[in-house]
Amino acid sequence: MSPETTDFLYPFIEGDERDSASLLADLSASAEAKWGYSERLRQETLALCHDQLASVSAAMARRFEAGGQLFAFGNGGSATDADDVAQVFTRPPRGEPLPARSLVTDHAVLTALSNDIGFDVVFSRQLEAHGGPNDIAVGLSTSGNSENLLVAFRQAAKRGMLTVGLAGYDGGQMGRCDELQHCLVVRSDSVHRIQETQAALIHALWSAVQSEYQAKGAA
Amino acid sequence: MTLTHADTGAAGAGGDGPYEHGLTEDLARAALALARRFHAGGTMWCASPSWTFHAHHVAVEFVHPVIMGKRALPAVVVPPGADLVASLRATVRPGDMVVVVAGTAPSDPGGADVAEVMRRGPAWGVETVWIGAGTRPPAGAADHVLWLGTDDPLVASEQFVRIYHLLWELTHVCFEHSGLLQPDLCEEEVCITCSDEGRTAEVVAVDEGGDAVVRTAEGRERIDVSLIDPPRPGDLVLVHAGSAIASLEEGRS
Repeated sequence: MSPETTDFLYPFIEGDERDSASLLADLSASAEAKWGYSERLRQETLALCHDQLASVSAAMARRFEAGGQLFAFGNGGSATDADDVAQVFTRPPRGEPLPARSLVTDHAVLTALSNDIGFDVVFSRQLEAHGGPNDIAVGLSTSGNSENLLVAFRQAAKRGMLTVGLAGYDGGQMGRCDELQHCLVVRSDSVHRIQETQAALIHALWSAVQSEYQAKGAA
Repeated sequence: MTLTHADTGAAGAGGDGPYEHGLTEDLARAALALARRFHAGGTMWCASPSWTFHAHHVAVEFVHPVIMGKRALPAVVVPPGADLVASLRATVRPGDMVVVVAGTAPSDPGGADVAEVMRRGPAWGVETVWIGAGTRPPAGAADHVLWLGTDDPLVASEQFVRIYHLLWELTHVCFEHSGLLQPDLCEEEVCITCSDEGRTAEVVAVDEGGDAVVRTAEGRERIDVSLIDPPRPGDLVLVHAGSAIASLEEGRS
């Protein structure tokens, strides 16, 4: 990499920079490179997870066929990914809507649990209230270490739910959690790039479940 | 089992780069504009009528960055389900930013409201960023249009995440260039901002005597509207030297 392309990494000490053209060119080049990296990570991860996606989606489809529903949860950006999961399953661009809910949307429940007990139980307590043996727990994290996800997976396993996790890095504690049956790992150490590929994994998982799912009465 | 969507490679993908030529240049310009607004004290308002979770993701990204040590910036989600135009009209202040993730109408039902918000940007004094996919809005629909060509809603949704992550990353790079955080100096012979030429205003109330109270990027003012057909509250007009010289609602329902 030539010195010019790394100039943008360093602040102008004087603060007297006036011409934005070179900054804009550097920003654009940086965006192009990161976009390319993100695209490659997406393709590599989907290839690496191909067999796993097949087995997870088959297991999920069986639960839906048995009348189960899906609960998705995560923190921060991963909370918005949980909403994405709920949205794509219930309001799919094609195929059959399937019952799914995000556990991060009810502020009354979230604040009540956080205030009365603690943030570690905000998802597990909801699974305790709603989860049954036909149901599916999908937890999303980039680090794989979120305590409230680990507690939720233990609760889900106790209730006989299918447990599915999405994590980054090396999977973190989710990768070593006995109660988590399926852990899809995006092997990167950039939170942003992990989330971008997790979005693709969510949609690939949804698509595969749609292919697997046999509605009652169908051949 | 067949994976029918994401593993097959996105439709129209031509290599690793963004599908839309010019997207990264648009991102760079948008990031610098946002950095300048944040630097001057502006708040970022985030909305996404059809993908509420994207609005939440944009806001949390700026308020509580995933990279430790990066400053918290004021970003807020417009309450979902609210009337987008009315909600933003009530809350935005000159100097703020509006970032929306939406397609254009009719493929995205929320697109019409978004277009109305973007059209009002100059009168409200806000910088507008429209992130979307599918049919591109007309030129000038927003200050910054960050657009994807794909018609696949899931491919688009995945790439929106990339777009706003990059927007955040580039905005923070701009903060390291303090000399560039001041607005560009006026270089035109007649500067539209400095003179009183053709400023966009939104009508707040109309008097019987042919005056109106309007809202512009500089604040509220009373103007003469006797040169044009009587406007209604909410209409956009062009103001010059204390008078409305044209309605911007002609041909609109």
